Amino acid sequence: MIDSKRATFLGLSAVAVSAVLATSAWAAKEPLKIGVPTSLTGPYSQLGDEVKRAVEFAVNEANAAGGVDGRKVEVRFLDTEAKPDLARQQAEKLALEGYNIMTATIASSEVLAIGPMLGRWNALYVATVTKANDITGKQCQPRLFRVNRPDYSDAAVIQPWLATRSEAKWAIVAADYAWGRGSGEGFRNAAAATGKTVVSENYPPLGSNDYAAFIQKVLDSGAQGMWVALAGRDAITFARQAKQFGLFDKVTTAGISFTTDGTVKVLGDVVKGINTIINYSATLDTPANRKFVSDWAKAYPGDSPTNFGGETYIGMQVIFQAVKKAGSVKPADVAKAMAGGTFETILGTQLMRKEDHQLVGPNYFGIVEAVNGTLRPAIKMTVPAQTATPGPDANCKL
Amino acid sequence: MIQVINGLVYGSFLYVLAVGLVLIFGLRRVTNFAHGSFFMLGAYVSYAAAAHLGFWTGMIVSVAALAVFGALLDRFVFRPLSREEPIVTLLVTFGLLFVLEDAVRTIWGKDYISVSAPEALSGSVTLFGSQFPTYRLFVIAVAIAVALGLAVWLRSTKVGLYVRASSVDPVTTAMQGVDTDRLSALVVAIGTGLAGLSGTIAGPLMALSPSMGGYIIIDCFIVVVTGGLTSFTGAFVAALVIGQFHNLGLVYVPEVASVIPLLIMAAVLGLRPQGLAGPRK
Repeated sequence: MIDSKRATFLGLSAVAVSAVLATSAWAAKEPLKIGVPTSLTGPYSQLGDEVKRAVEFAVNEANAAGGVDGRKVEVRFLDTEAKPDLARQQAEKLALEGYNIMTATIASSEVLAIGPMLGRWNALYVATVTKANDITGKQCQPRLFRVNRPDYSDAAVIQPWLATRSEAKWAIVAADYAWGRGSGEGFRNAAAATGKTVVSENYPPLGSNDYAAFIQKVLDSGAQGMWVALAGRDAITFARQAKQFGLFDKVTTAGISFTTDGTVKVLGDVVKGINTIINYSATLDTPANRKFVSDWAKAYPGDSPTNFGGETYIGMQVIFQAVKKAGSVKPADVAKAMAGGTFETILGTQLMRKEDHQLVGPNYFGIVEAVNGTLRPAIKMTVPAQTATPGPDANCKL
Repeated sequence: MIQVINGLVYGSFLYVLAVGLVLIFGLRRVTNFAHGSFFMLGAYVSYAAAAHLGFWTGMIVSVAALAVFGALLDRFVFRPLSREEPIVTLLVTFGLLFVLEDAVRTIWGKDYISVSAPEALSGSVTLFGSQFPTYRLFVIAVAIAVALGLAVWLRSTKVGLYVRASSVDPVTTAMQGVDTDRLSALVVAIGTGLAGLSGTIAGPLMALSPSMGGYIIIDCFIVVVTGGLTSFTGAFVAALVIGQFHNLGLVYVPEVASVIPLLIMAAVLGLRPQGLAGPRK
């Protein structure tokens, strides 16, 4: 009994000493302050919530392990409502407050508004879910990086799938801003390369309430297949209305960010059988991903990381490793460590290309179906990193 | 032709929401910024009630709950503030919007919710050779029922006469012995009840989220201003015109479709500053 008490006392003392030492070490070094200008409200609020949880998970995990490079990690979130102007204002506010290593904004148009200002703010930004080619293409910036798959990577995945399809006529329904337009262009190129014809292109405004006009246009076009690039609230509203019009029963449907873990959970059988590009899935069977998913379930009981959560966690892994490698939290030093570096991620070792600051990673294709009794996007095809992330983008001059 | 019917559906939906705003403005002269959040609250109340009691009972519960909420709002907010500057009440409704959004976020969470149409309306009918969702025809029917119901009430009953009189001149109406406070409570209750009704019919059409009111309220204000602020007929005509042009714009000129309602409003106000059917000053 005495031994047990003594052991407990010694154990607690050890924990207390470690905590004090960690705190002292943290006090000695400048903290790593991460700013997250993201969609806490607006049409992408659920996506904002998914990335927020991933950032918080990564920060708590890092601090519990003694911090990053002996530094405490601090994080601050500000709402951008998916509006580019507000995103730029909020990012500037974060940078001025010292949270000048930023990440996890939802809309590409927001990142394209933030990107050109990073040098002036002495900040750095790591895109984790935004897909517009221009982010690492013609609008690339020395302080701007991306870890997720761009539109051209999704096109590289859709093309081999499209080649196997018998449907000759296709329609496009995509969000009317940089990402949706880029996705539409990527699909159009993939269709042309595989001898398909795009007979109807539709770009509904972000936050639309009624998609009937677009749904009817697709029905009237004679399209046999449809490519959808809508996300968040738009994806749910469009899917619900398209189902009522019988659109999914009439045309083969494939999409990106349309049938994600989040939207499938909300829509259920409405989107069963829809083909989808999958940029990340909690079901990916790598040791690092298994551990991530298991730790996530302990932090958020009954939950598993979504595609946006997983991609954002990869962004946090890259930031932490770059800070450690730089031995500094100065954005210039971290950017230097990031460009051309290799990083251990939950999807394996990945290169951050120095030519365009794009992380070279794999991509996946699948279908919405029941997996262990739960409807979710299930991977059917894996495209390796070198094929899935072609290029560096020649439009990027760093 | 199917696209015209689609425009009619959106216009009908706008009308049911906008006419509540017209009622409240007519009696209380309150520009109710919180109307979009009443619509949102109606959608959530209906969703929660329907989960246990079915869609139709959910609709009744939502309308009743929002009507009670409106009566209380009139008694404890609009009436005490009626002697203050209009800007005070306007700011209070603006604050109420945030309070309601946060309350709903706390109760139901911030994740999106999708609601199925009731079984009886989940199919489709053939119209002009195309398959058309039955639920969308139901939305048109609801708008017609609301328009007819309000027309009969306002034009054929004594209370309706008082409401019309009070909308034009509340002071003189009160001097004639009409209890305008009780009348206002009734009218605000009906206005918020209609917000509950529009929230309910929105459920199977769009994703539910605490901020969903923000996506519709601008179009709703455009309808009210174009129609003439206090005019029920004006709101009806404006909703149908704006719904139609908005939808046809998406079909034929999608690049500029989002500004078409604003252009219509600007054109109407340029030609008739009092709106389509507003009283001449």
